[in-house]
Amino acid sequence: MHVVIIGCGRTGSALAARLDAEGDQINIIEIDSAAKARLPAGFGGAFLPGNAVHTHMLEAAGILHAEALVALTASDSVNIVAARVARHSYRVPRVLARLHDPAHAQAYRELGIGTVGSVQTTVNRVVQLLHHQTLEPQQSFGNGETLLVRSRIPSYLGGRQVAELNVPDEIGVVELSRHGHSRIPEPTTPLEPGDVLSFVVAAGSISRLHSFIGGEWS
Amino acid sequence: MMRVIVVGGPGLPDQVAVALRNTGEEVTVIEGDPLAQSTLEAAGPLRADVLAVLTQSDETNLVVSLLAKRRFQIPRIVARVNDPANEALFDWSWGVDALVSPATALVSMIRAVAGRDTAAQTVLASGD
Repeated sequence: MHVVIIGCGRTGSALAARLDAEGDQINIIEIDSAAKARLPAGFGGAFLPGNAVHTHMLEAAGILHAEALVALTASDSVNIVAARVARHSYRVPRVLARLHDPAHAQAYRELGIGTVGSVQTTVNRVVQLLHHQTLEPQQSFGNGETLLVRSRIPSYLGGRQVAELNVPDEIGVVELSRHGHSRIPEPTTPLEPGDVLSFVVAAGSISRLHSFIGGEWS
Repeated sequence: MMRVIVVGGPGLPDQVAVALRNTGEEVTVIEGDPLAQSTLEAAGPLRADVLAVLTQSDETNLVVSLLAKRRFQIPRIVARVNDPANEALFDWSWGVDALVSPATALVSMIRAVAGRDTAAQTVLASGD
């Protein structure tokens, strides 16, 4: 896969090294030429010193044939401009950017730019690990506002209906696994001891879900 | 009288705001983080005739222009280009109606003063 990375800081250089090791073709653009030292010896990709929003830099990095662009600089403005130029001017199929300041999340959202590594994601993760160690999210959406959580239900919920666990805007049961088979349950589906459920949960409602199904689970 | 919102701070943006006020325009200067959603909203963007986006970051100017055009449909957005190499980006696709490039304007004037740029010479002469 041909990937253009913008920003050779801690994250950019680590991502470049990892993808290079996995056999991807990496071109990394960085304004500070000294940052090249962050790349490991034997790095097989190209380091291009320069301004990533300049057309000639992006084209030198092979943006015309890139399958992905990841913007990881410490400036949200630079990340947004690079991501949007990649998407709209060069039709790069996969574009991701790093959200630096949570106050800028709305700007990324309005412009349809997917973000990673936000402060909010880290905060949610730490709170989960501190307070709800057993609720391990399988997946987070957006900037971590919504999570997918899987858990075995406690046996005392046997006989209750799926709908009793749904809370509008907070918790929704989206999948049920029973005896090794997975299906999408009806609101009226009765639960059985041993059922494993997948919940979509608002990040702020994790503790509420915990109170529903806390206690005995795996 | 026209209503102008100036995005920027100390230096050129403030000087522009003062000069516009002196010509009788109603000017609101936005300071603080222009990419945060509430900053621009506080300046009454729905009543503005012109938004002048004049920060020292070209990327910030582009993003602020685009968000302002989309959110508030401000009729005229003027954005500052700090690095002439970025001029090609400053167009309608970023919500920019007109760009101001201090470096390019200065180059043109210097050439005119040296007698190398007849078009700008005309402008200079008519300014006298």
